Amino acid sequence: MTEEGEKLLSIKDLKTHFFTERGVVKAVDGINLEIGKGKILGLVGESGSGKTVTALSIVRLVSYPGKILNGYILFQNENLLEKNEREMRHIRGNRISMIFQDPMSCLNPVFTVGDQVAEAIRLHQDIPRSEIEQSVVNIFEKVGIPDAKKRLKEHPHKFSGGMRQRVMIAMALSCHPDLLIADEPTTNLDVTIQLQILNLMRKIKRDFKTSILLITHDLGVIAEMADHVAVMYAGKIMEYSDVVEVFSNPLHPYTKALLESVPRLDVETRRLRVIPGTVPELLNPPDGCRFSPRCAYTREVCRKEVPPLIEIKRGHSVACLRMNDIDTERGDNNV
Amino acid sequence: MTLKEAIITSDILLKVRGLKKHFRLTGRIFKKAAVIRAVDGVSFDIHRGETLGLVGESGCGKTTTGLTILRFYPPTAGSVYFEGKDIFQTTKREMRKLRQEMQMIFQDPFLSLNPRMTVYDIIGDAFDIHGLARGAEKDRRIISLMKKVELIPHHMYRYPHEFSGGQRQRIGIARALALKPKFVIADEPVSSLDISVRAQMLNLLQDLQEEFELTTLYISHDLSTVKHICDRVCVMYLGRIIESADVKELFNNPLHPYTKALILAIPIPNPKLKRKRIVLKGSPPTPIDPPPGCRFHPRCPYTPKPICKKEEPELIDVGTSTKHLVACHFISSNLRQNPTRHLEE
Repeated sequence: MTEEGEKLLSIKDLKTHFFTERGVVKAVDGINLEIGKGKILGLVGESGSGKTVTALSIVRLVSYPGKILNGYILFQNENLLEKNEREMRHIRGNRISMIFQDPMSCLNPVFTVGDQVAEAIRLHQDIPRSEIEQSVVNIFEKVGIPDAKKRLKEHPHKFSGGMRQRVMIAMALSCHPDLLIADEPTTNLDVTIQLQILNLMRKIKRDFKTSILLITHDLGVIAEMADHVAVMYAGKIMEYSDVVEVFSNPLHPYTKALLESVPRLDVETRRLRVIPGTVPELLNPPDGCRFSPRCAYTREVCRKEVPPLIEIKRGHSVACLRMNDIDTERGDNNV
Repeated sequence: MTLKEAIITSDILLKVRGLKKHFRLTGRIFKKAAVIRAVDGVSFDIHRGETLGLVGESGCGKTTTGLTILRFYPPTAGSVYFEGKDIFQTTKREMRKLRQEMQMIFQDPFLSLNPRMTVYDIIGDAFDIHGLARGAEKDRRIISLMKKVELIPHHMYRYPHEFSGGQRQRIGIARALALKPKFVIADEPVSSLDISVRAQMLNLLQDLQEEFELTTLYISHDLSTVKHICDRVCVMYLGRIIESADVKELFNNPLHPYTKALILAIPIPNPKLKRKRIVLKGSPPTPIDPPPGCRFHPRCPYTPKPICKKEEPELIDVGTSTKHLVACHFISSNLRQNPTRHLEE
């Protein structure tokens, strides 16, 4: 494993808000995150929790009416928020790449996949034109596209969902980025294909020492892939720790409830735990702790004060005001 | 299977025999019209009060099976008996009556509700169509249905866009239950919902199944959910059922190599768990030209024998204590061996 503590990316107090006609949507509201070199950080949360906006903020692709208001994003000791657009363009695709949930809408249907990957290489790397095709073939073989020489001359519609995602990954990897942001990379894929793609991502991490920010709502995928996990809810980080800790010793009531609300193959459950209500609209987020309206342990104080993310023990941070009372209270309820 | 036999086994609510649904693509000049064999000879029974899971990857024909059973598509071949009556032989009028007893819950609550109708009309439409309730009685029934699915009754004059995804799915469920059906087909009812809302919906479905004594065909690609909610499971691959058993039996003792791989492919939210995996190569072939013999042989982790490439295996009961059907030459002819291809830690 890599040296403990060596960070590739750290985000401090990032706020990204959207100034819509109906009001300010606080999509990301003051979050802190860190990704170690060669590590996978899993960012879990339900839809509307701000996962994707976090990712877009890192590559500075938040579009109007969204705006990054606050904080800094330190990537290899440079603050990305201070870069101008030209410098950013050099970083995107070169040092930070991104893959998305729906590969079909990210690939241009009128160009061959080979051309599209070649473009990425041509723009970011200084290699002779004659060698570009060979490097596309190489990268296709690395991501497991069989018959690469022939297939790079085909258009995206001839590829299956899994294969398209491989093309996206090939494009993302073509410049050997230090950070790969994968936003729900397997959500639309069948489980057997998902397994192939996850294995490929694991291989990338191992072979290229690429750090990965893996965004997903699938707790199973997180458990298998991530080294560290950040649980996001309504624009805030609720809990952060290493993967084993989060799954075996979750401390935030939201994390706990989330883990108990999914049916699992390995555990027999008759009845699922239910989190009442739905994810809040971020136009008018609840006061105090944003989870308080749905939390089973809410007290008056939760509705007033915003809980800070506090490191409780080494490497395990939780944002909950009543965290210390919960375990005892739960014990009472169980009797 | 004759009609008579079907009547005798009164315990079985729905009986599907040799169901086929092929779609013809328009041909080009000099080219034969291609035929998509979406469902290609599917047979199963659903017992009264049971929840049968129909699982498989996208394109395996599970949704088409559901839609053909309800005659949304005209079948290519086969028959479906509902309470002993062959529903493919019924007249339109009889079918309309039968539809009261067979309903469907759709996957996408955004597409399956008419945006120009209020909740009152969406749920109440069924009463009008079948002439079952009017006026105050209709209102009373709609309110009681909305309460049952945990919607607030005074929202009944709202339109679908005013509701969240989970609430819309509740409207869809209320609509399906309006006529007190005996049989419901639920096609991926929770897969478009967020995790926390999904749990609410699964619990609601379980409660309603008990209350209405529903028999359910639960169509899904999500095996964790299927394990949670179903009593029995059929696994489909390329238009055929390849394995079917009791839910416990299937998950504890999967026999077909495809089922095994499918179960092992599901990520489990436990980072300490390490499993040996079978990573299937490639993706399922198209149902236009399914491979000869066993349809799974090109991806099978066992090295295929000549028979696998020639003969289509039949669904045979190999269970010891309970019924366990599997369609695999390796299992039925005792060619059992350890998987040799595509293994990965």
